[in-house]
Amino acid sequence: MDVPVPNPSEDAPILLDKNQNTSKAPIRRLKSMSVRDFYESYQQSLQLVLVGSESGFERKIIEPELNRPGLALAGFYTYFAEQRIQVIGNAEHSYLTCLETKDGLARFRELCRQAVPCLILARGHSLPKAFMDEAHRLQLSIFQTEMASMHFLNAATIRLQWAFAPTTTEHGSMVDIHGIGVLLRGESGSGKSETVIGLIDRGATLVADDLVRFRRIEGGDIMGTSKEVGRNHMEVRGLGLINVMALYGIGAVRLEKALNVVITLRPADDIHQLERLGLEPKTYRILGLDLPHVELLVAPGRDLAKLIEVAAMDVKLKVFGHDTAVEFNNRLLRKLRDHRDV
Amino acid sequence: MIQKDLTINNKHGLHARPAAQFVKVSSQFECDIWVERDEERVNGKSIMGLMMLAAPSGATISISTDGSDETEAMNALEALVVGGFDDE
Repeated sequence: MDVPVPNPSEDAPILLDKNQNTSKAPIRRLKSMSVRDFYESYQQSLQLVLVGSESGFERKIIEPELNRPGLALAGFYTYFAEQRIQVIGNAEHSYLTCLETKDGLARFRELCRQAVPCLILARGHSLPKAFMDEAHRLQLSIFQTEMASMHFLNAATIRLQWAFAPTTTEHGSMVDIHGIGVLLRGESGSGKSETVIGLIDRGATLVADDLVRFRRIEGGDIMGTSKEVGRNHMEVRGLGLINVMALYGIGAVRLEKALNVVITLRPADDIHQLERLGLEPKTYRILGLDLPHVELLVAPGRDLAKLIEVAAMDVKLKVFGHDTAVEFNNRLLRKLRDHRDV
Repeated sequence: MIQKDLTINNKHGLHARPAAQFVKVSSQFECDIWVERDEERVNGKSIMGLMMLAAPSGATISISTDGSDETEAMNALEALVVGGFDDE
């Protein structure tokens, strides 16, 4: 059945149609991390030493947060963050050890019975053998770290937040131009890779080609990186694979970069109306953050690398507080006000 | 060639947004389009040119269109200018 569809050209705003775009790429998020993965990933950076048994290695970490179980050891379980890694610091350790051994063991057993992922003994503390045996029996792994509790809490939180942060991948290339992270989008064959080579020639550094992986901790920047397998390489039509690091040197590549602007290359015959002045800012949303979005027409003879370099520098200018289009128009408006021909 | 004098009647004059709207309309036509004010003549398809005219509210601009679709172009631009560019 035919349904009447309003003509999109009617009633359309005169200047611009859609200023806000959102990435359609799926967002992924780590649901859980086993204690084994936690230990293997952060053994060095968090100075973890396994002092208990491996019996608790299959327990799952599902919250990127940590807890100090002081109140729980005192017997209060009404509010207890049992899904968090538990950190035993000076306070908890001296509380446990100053109780009569039997009483302390009972308190400790109760903690081990909870669904906690694992225990961390900060400041290199250790527990009596009876305690360790109890943890083994209840299949809970215990690690020791030389770090002080607060230091450990901060360092572990940062790493866990990062591991559990939402990620997505965008089809496109990412470069760092004068400190501005640029995602270059466009249909296959729109000339992204050639443009990236032009940019590298002008001193830009390559972050990722063809596929960029983004990750963002809530409230933070969007960090872009390449999948490890494709790192430092590009595929250029007619040339095949090229190794950017081998050709241009280590200075031409970087591992990761915060994303500042999205640039989309559009075919020259695209009737899509492009913004002429920059007064109607366009945005492109990735992982919940709206980034400035520039759309460029690809036409023969256009030096895209040069245009993109200018676009990146204009974004930098805005970061420093200068919005060219707005400032220009304000100047014009002042002049128009002063010379009103009425 | 057609030539017509029109008065800018929106509140703020021919600033960036009206200039962009003007060019969005004028670019749809094949014919040459020129805009003149105070003996300054600019291309009607250039935003920068139109802004440089610095035509305030109440100013008279002279539009000329020259080419195969000059009548349609003039009608469209006249409607835009007389309508005050839909500018607040």
